[in-house]
Amino acid sequence: MDVERIKFERIGGFAGIRIAADFELGDLSEEQTRTLVDLLDNLDFAELPENLISDSTASDQFTYTITVEAEEWQHTVVTGDSPADEKMQELLDLLNRLARTKVRKH
Amino acid sequence: MHKHSPILCIVPPHMLKEIATNGSETQKKMAQDTINASTILRAERLKMAEFGAVFKTAIAKAAGDGKERIVYDAKNGSSLPGTIARREGDGPSADVAINEAYDGSGVTYDLFKDVYNRNSIDGSGMRLDSTVHYQKGYDNAFWDGKQMVYGDGDENLPVSERLFNRFTIALDIIGHELTHGVTQFEAKLVYSQQPGALNESMSDVFGSLVKQYQRKQTADQADWIIGEGLLTANVNGIGIRTMKAPGTAYDDPVLGKDPQPAHMKDYVNTIGDNGGVHINSGIPNHAFYLTALELGGYAWEKAGQVWYTTLRDKLTERSNFQQCASLTYQTAGELFGAGSLEQQAVKNGWAGVGLSVDGSTTPPEPGGCLESLLRLLGAAPAR
Repeated sequence: MDVERIKFERIGGFAGIRIAADFELGDLSEEQTRTLVDLLDNLDFAELPENLISDSTASDQFTYTITVEAEEWQHTVVTGDSPADEKMQELLDLLNRLARTKVRKH
Repeated sequence: MHKHSPILCIVPPHMLKEIATNGSETQKKMAQDTINASTILRAERLKMAEFGAVFKTAIAKAAGDGKERIVYDAKNGSSLPGTIARREGDGPSADVAINEAYDGSGVTYDLFKDVYNRNSIDGSGMRLDSTVHYQKGYDNAFWDGKQMVYGDGDENLPVSERLFNRFTIALDIIGHELTHGVTQFEAKLVYSQQPGALNESMSDVFGSLVKQYQRKQTADQADWIIGEGLLTANVNGIGIRTMKAPGTAYDDPVLGKDPQPAHMKDYVNTIGDNGGVHINSGIPNHAFYLTALELGGYAWEKAGQVWYTTLRDKLTERSNFQQCASLTYQTAGELFGAGSLEQQAVKNGWAGVGLSVDGSTTPPEPGGCLESLLRLLGAAPAR
């Protein structure tokens, strides 16, 4: 999959503060791009279900929405905290840090 | 029973080791015997201490004090609950987050037990489980349906970039999360739209009351800030929310501006945040604050009693703000008498946020999503 763009949004949580950013992969460093693409490949992101949130009794958890866009293709996944997959956790952590850096710069 | 030389019993272990190596044959033997006896004694003392803690908990439970806490350490991972770090009756840890979670859940338990006669989250002595050090750089705390979970904030970022401190730092956050558990066992308010905002508000109300109860503050002395101390010095803000003046807790280039309304005329229609559960909770939060301030004294005594009884006995899964206003008014009448000052204060509290307790006031027609979004962005005037 030739990823061009990633859209990330984190909402909810105890603070209820939204953090969101769009990333053109061409604007990121080579290392960041490689890490992101590797994580998406390892997760088999394109095959993930659109909704990974299951627990309805939880409160104050984050909701993450990740949209990955390639030429003539896109896939969105919505997930919450405590994802079973460590790679997903790494992806969320990286996107969250990149989003905060981007918001800070603007 | 072991025999000890009275002299060797007070000799420090490092010295005993020296004697056991370098002394005469008799001295060597005596020293070695003492080392062996001390080892056995230490093991016995440890067993006794463990037995004592278990015994103490059992006695306390039998006597009706069902407070039982366990704090786990996730060690920056995602697995819950993690490794046991402190049990009920254990002494303080060297880790501040562990102690804050332990002490905070204890004070929260005490408020519900001492003031509202509620035995823990489920009313039947449910153990209070908390996990600290959840993940790395995790800016959040949550209730997962079974336990409380706390992140360390931005501990993995350079100091100059940190926005959040550890989430156990504020007692009201601990009270907030634990109250989600109480709501889960009582009104079961669904976590969406107005019922979800009421769910959030109940957590803020009792979170703040836990802090006031610990500090022994009256309503006019309390700061009514939720998450005081959570934001670092890099953020322009006093906390995450304020029940006294919703919408003014922070205004920051990175975090944005506190979006909470204090009145129904500013109700925010949004699909994000489960329909704005952390946003519109500012309205019932402020109603509670106004009620408590009018009543004066300790807020947990009268206003808190009205809200707690309403949460326990009257609210249901789909209750909205209007129903909460009417039901708290009804409860105040039952607890303190129809037409009492307490009932009048509840009525005035809700009137202050644009809601009539008898439902006679038609709440302003909420605007559409676009208008709400524009208002949040400051591109449309507040109505």
